[in-house]
Amino acid sequence: MLKFFRSTLLAISSLLFISVATPALSADHSLADYKYVLHISDMDPSKQELILNNARNLLDAYPPGDVEVEIVAYGPGLRLMFAENVNAQRIDSLSQSGVRFTACGNTLKGMAKLLGEEPKLNAAATVVPGGIVRIGELVKQGYIYVKP
Amino acid sequence: MGENKQFKRALIGAACTLAFAAAGTAHAANWLMLQGTEDPAAASRAEVWGFIQAKYEKDFSDPNAAGGFVPPKLLGPELDSQDGFNINRARIGVRGTGFPLDSRINYFVLLEMGNNGITHDGGAFAKLTDASVTLNHIPGARVRAGLFKTPGAEEGLQAIHVFDYINFTEVTNALLLERFPNKNWTEAAGSNAATGNVGPFTEAQLQSGASLNTFDSPIGAFRDVGVQVFDAFDVGNNWEVSYAAMIGNGNGIEFSNSDGEYDTYLYLSAEKKFGGKGPKAEGLKFFAWGQKGSRLLDKTDDSTANLVSYDRDRAGVGVKYMKKPFRATVEYIAADGMIFVGPDKPNFYFTNNTAHGNGADAEASGWYAEGGWYIPNTKFELDARFDTYTSLEDRVNQFRFDKWTLGMQYHFNPKTRITLNYEIRDFECDSGKAPCTSAGALTPDYNLKGVGNKVGLQLTAIF
Repeated sequence: MLKFFRSTLLAISSLLFISVATPALSADHSLADYKYVLHISDMDPSKQELILNNARNLLDAYPPGDVEVEIVAYGPGLRLMFAENVNAQRIDSLSQSGVRFTACGNTLKGMAKLLGEEPKLNAAATVVPGGIVRIGELVKQGYIYVKP
Repeated sequence: MGENKQFKRALIGAACTLAFAAAGTAHAANWLMLQGTEDPAAASRAEVWGFIQAKYEKDFSDPNAAGGFVPPKLLGPELDSQDGFNINRARIGVRGTGFPLDSRINYFVLLEMGNNGITHDGGAFAKLTDASVTLNHIPGARVRAGLFKTPGAEEGLQAIHVFDYINFTEVTNALLLERFPNKNWTEAAGSNAATGNVGPFTEAQLQSGASLNTFDSPIGAFRDVGVQVFDAFDVGNNWEVSYAAMIGNGNGIEFSNSDGEYDTYLYLSAEKKFGGKGPKAEGLKFFAWGQKGSRLLDKTDDSTANLVSYDRDRAGVGVKYMKKPFRATVEYIAADGMIFVGPDKPNFYFTNNTAHGNGADAEASGWYAEGGWYIPNTKFELDARFDTYTSLEDRVNQFRFDKWTLGMQYHFNPKTRITLNYEIRDFECDSGKAPCTSAGALTPDYNLKGVGNKVGLQLTAIF
């Protein structure tokens, strides 16, 4: 009987742990079958549309939950995640569909120096210390690396 | 028309346009924004672009009874032949944001190297047609400074490389594609006392060096050098309202303000956007505009310099619908002063009597309606346009140009197309009084009735 209670308690605790830890897991320990990291560091505006198209196509290609997509931007490519970017609506929409947007903190600092102020980022963007480091971490976790 | 009437008419028209739009119905391309701004945080540092237009045209007009030709019967800009090939436009430009991290500043530069009124009349191999910088710092009041297209009629303001016909309508050609009086032309007193202008010339005279195009300045090209305040506002439900106010030299693409006066421009539009982006964006757009200015002209037929300042006012309203497979545009344009008629002066030359009036202080108006049908599932597009232009209104030598243009376009791809146009032209003096009713060489119809049809084939390649 005690064994049953311990097992039940363990199961409930595990479920609770999983539910609380889900946001962190989605980034680092995703259960999705396919995980992609899309990389943008180009100045070329057409790359901005292309990478957003890639993200949308990936979401559309797999059943919900089967694919995870993170877009990492650094260098001139960080402009994609500027709040004023012409594609901001698409970024919001993709974000709501689960795509993660990651901005490079090193690039942000450099831009702040050049501009005299830090550029405002899209609310969907999460700043990490280094974009290149983030890509390396994700690849190590098994993400498929794509640079359109 | 009183001095301020044109402007007031434009403002009232604009108010009506916006009121109608706000009431609930009405995008075509927003040229103010397309030409004056860049996509925020998504523009190149320097995007190189341009286009080439090569054409063949044949004019079927007949000379007058004495074998003389007037400009509408010949191909420009040389006005010395009735058929031939031409590279009428070859433009290369650069645009973008010089410092791409700061979307608040953008620029636009464009150079013309084709053979047309911009280069030929200025005697230049290449001519700068656009060079502007836009400052987007003030919400609702972007500032564009430099040389650029003035806010005005759709036919002039739209990007020429996506224009659906080879030639402009007669009303736009005469009233908006400004010819500046030849400042250097010193006609010997009495050499052409009847007209104060050159021509008509026979084929032999033209081949011997006589010229029907004696302008010494490039055409205005719908442009001016100055400062424009403008912006576009999303007012909800896919409606966009735009405005522009500009002050400029009033000297086209020339960098001077030779008369010491400035031209002022005002433009308002309301658009219901249906979708898409760029020059072929879909929507329903209502617009109204007006411009006021003055020009110096020596219209007397003597060898003495006696310049007089004449008002040059223009105004118009219009609507454009664009939703594939259909396109339709209607525009009305009115003008007061500096009505271009002749080959070297805004003068009057279709008859043999200067007493009949002069374009410098005359009025004129016209309108056009055009439509296009993109044949579904093909690369073909059919176009049709009717335009009518009445010049020297209410004067005894009033004349009217009516033109039908039937067209077909084949789009090899979105950047390359071939355009076939056939123009059916009916030009006549129609005041119902002498000299229109006069006989023989005394009537303007002596020269106008021979104006015939014209066919053209043009290849456009955008890069």
